[in-house]
Amino acid sequence: MVRAAVAAASVLAFAAIGAGASAQTYSRPTAAPRTTDAGALAGVAREREVHERFGRGVAAAERGDWTAAAAEFRRTLSLDPPEPRGSTVRYDLALAEVHLGHDDAATGLLEEALHRDPRFAAAAANLVAVYMRRGNTAAARTVADRFVAFAPDSALARYDRGLTALRAGDLTTARADFRALIGSDPTYAVAHYDLALVELRAGRDDAARAELDQALTLSPGYARARFALGTVLMRDGRRADARIAFDRCARDAADPALRALAIDLRDKL
Amino acid sequence: MRNFRRSAIAVVLALGACAGAATGAELLLDEPTSSLAASALPSLLGPITESGRTGWNCAPERAATARTPAAAGLPHD
Repeated sequence: MVRAAVAAASVLAFAAIGAGASAQTYSRPTAAPRTTDAGALAGVAREREVHERFGRGVAAAERGDWTAAAAEFRRTLSLDPPEPRGSTVRYDLALAEVHLGHDDAATGLLEEALHRDPRFAAAAANLVAVYMRRGNTAAARTVADRFVAFAPDSALARYDRGLTALRAGDLTTARADFRALIGSDPTYAVAHYDLALVELRAGRDDAARAELDQALTLSPGYARARFALGTVLMRDGRRADARIAFDRCARDAADPALRALAIDLRDKL
Repeated sequence: MRNFRRSAIAVVLALGACAGAATGAELLLDEPTSSLAASALPSLLGPITESGRTGWNCAPERAATARTPAAAGLPHD
């Protein structure tokens, strides 16, 4: 009785070891479709093509071949993949269209992506950027408002809306957004600079000056802020200090137009 | 002849740039803060893979929802 039990246990143990070894040695074969239905087979083929073309499109985009990327994404889009891939392929195709100079097509695709997934943050960010580049401040502002509404803690959403509001002259909203950015990172000099512009346009030169001082304390080589400080000092009648600011800006500026303007103002003072 | 033409074009462009800067400077002397431009537009976020938004490692979505300017990749000037 005992011998029979030991023999049975040994057989089971060897069987378990053998099963484990085979599981480690051989990969699972690709499952064959368990159907001969033409529609189901077409669905499997479509799914496979979406997968392949997505991969090729992203690889082409990453190497900067936007023509090839656009072709792959257009074909993927025609296969109408479900969410979230439907909005993702529209986002990717829009990116390719922007690089090919087709901004109108890009904005349409990004609007569709956001319609399919209203909380698609990257699509909102790129849509604001494209509208801003095209100078369509009103459309950019509408999207930026939606972006902030669903992602109020997003630094990019606040930055986007701050810029669109500043461009549109909505100083209250711009001020709130740049202050929120400073709240998330007080060392971000650019937000202090933009807030200074808001205060200048609101006629609050002292507040602007304080923000510019803060920006330049954080980033002494920030030429655009140095130039702005020079203009504030000039408006205040402090010509000698303004001249020093323009001189420093001329040395720090990487942008040749800003450097030329700073040199000209310095020499006129 | 070709070099002369190139030099002439370069001189004309340089004079144009100087004239533009000088005109800008004259305008600025009248209203110094009028031409100050806001900071740069943010860069476009990059492509997203097929499964990117169903996983946790989607770089464009992470940048778009990041709470700090550095994590969001905001401009430096």
